[in-house]
Amino acid sequence: MIKEVNDKNFDEEIGNSDNIVVVDFWAPWCGPCRMLSPVIEELAKEMGTEVKFAKVNVDESPMISSKYRIASIPTVMVFSKDTVKETMVGFRPKADIKKIIQRNL
Amino acid sequence: MGERYDIAIIGTGPAGLEAAINSKIRNKNIILFGSKELSRKLVKAPKVNNFLGFYNLTGKELKNHFAAHIEAMGIGIVNERINNVYAMGDYFALMVNEKIYEAKSIILATGIEYTKPLKGEEKLLGKGVGYCATCDAPLYKGKTVVVVGYNNEAEEETNFVSELCGKTYYIPMYKGDYKLNSNVEIISHKPIEIVGEDRVTKLILDHGEIITDGIFMLRDSLSPSQLVPGLNIEQDHIKVDRNMQSNIEGCFAAGDCTGKPYQYMKAAGEGLVAALSAVSYLDLTKK
Repeated sequence: MIKEVNDKNFDEEIGNSDNIVVVDFWAPWCGPCRMLSPVIEELAKEMGTEVKFAKVNVDESPMISSKYRIASIPTVMVFSKDTVKETMVGFRPKADIKKIIQRNL
Repeated sequence: MGERYDIAIIGTGPAGLEAAINSKIRNKNIILFGSKELSRKLVKAPKVNNFLGFYNLTGKELKNHFAAHIEAMGIGIVNERINNVYAMGDYFALMVNEKIYEAKSIILATGIEYTKPLKGEEKLLGKGVGYCATCDAPLYKGKTVVVVGYNNEAEEETNFVSELCGKTYYIPMYKGDYKLNSNVEIISHKPIEIVGEDRVTKLILDHGEIITDGIFMLRDSLSPSQLVPGLNIEQDHIKVDRNMQSNIEGCFAAGDCTGKPYQYMKAAGEGLVAALSAVSYLDLTKK
């Protein structure tokens, strides 16, 4: 349901998607990221047909992380093709993220 | 992981205690976080004459009445500091360092004893300003970082930061012995403003400034929006409706943290309403 994306396949996976893409930038050492990931998983279950969900491990993908100037994790970005539509920094409740995704549909 | 409580109440001032006794009367499984002292503000009050039923009491005497009341009802206080509360959807995760408590609903009764953010801090949050040094330090490899620490615990995080980042400055907001790595530079000036457009560029101090890529603010007490990410704040207070419901479903607030007037009676009344609202919320979600 949630595609793991990295420096190599990021542009292909995100830029070539017809749907909008929700990207979760995370790392294993980050507590709030661990809390956010089940929330994103639930959203992927609910909205997976109209929205693509992806995650980027910032540890393993430093190029993409610095390209999009990730300065705090978790950061969730909503992409349409290669354009960033929304940026959410830090943990957010499910309802908040859902609302932000929906206004980009 | 332990049991999932019906209601977690954060704060042992009048709002939190009134919420606790009413939740208990409604037979809910509750957990109450706070301190034995109940409320620092209450203990310090020299005279209280506007708490109905109690005339001419000192804050300490009133506190003793409160303490006796919750004890008689078998309500205990968990003396632990909640670092974060995450709204997971159908429950809340309350983080205490490495420990997690779970509750179906929460009542915030934290008072207003938190430090105001610096000028520019909220604008640049996530653009160089961070509250979790352990989370974000690896993103500043080889870059300059300033840590503003409000307590001793911040020193350990600063040492961790200094091992990963480039130049690390530490600004202690308290007095004491600082146990810091030798490569950490201690600055003994007060931070005034964080400056930057789409990115942090510098920190202005009462004397001089520091050019930096990142700033970590490690505070003693968290503002409600930091404590509960996603919480709506209006004019420095938690925004609630008449049922003491915040913008997050299942999350209620009561007392000074919701706004003025800052009074014991108002706090207790709000705690009562919040508890009853939490009870209705629980009944509704059970169906």
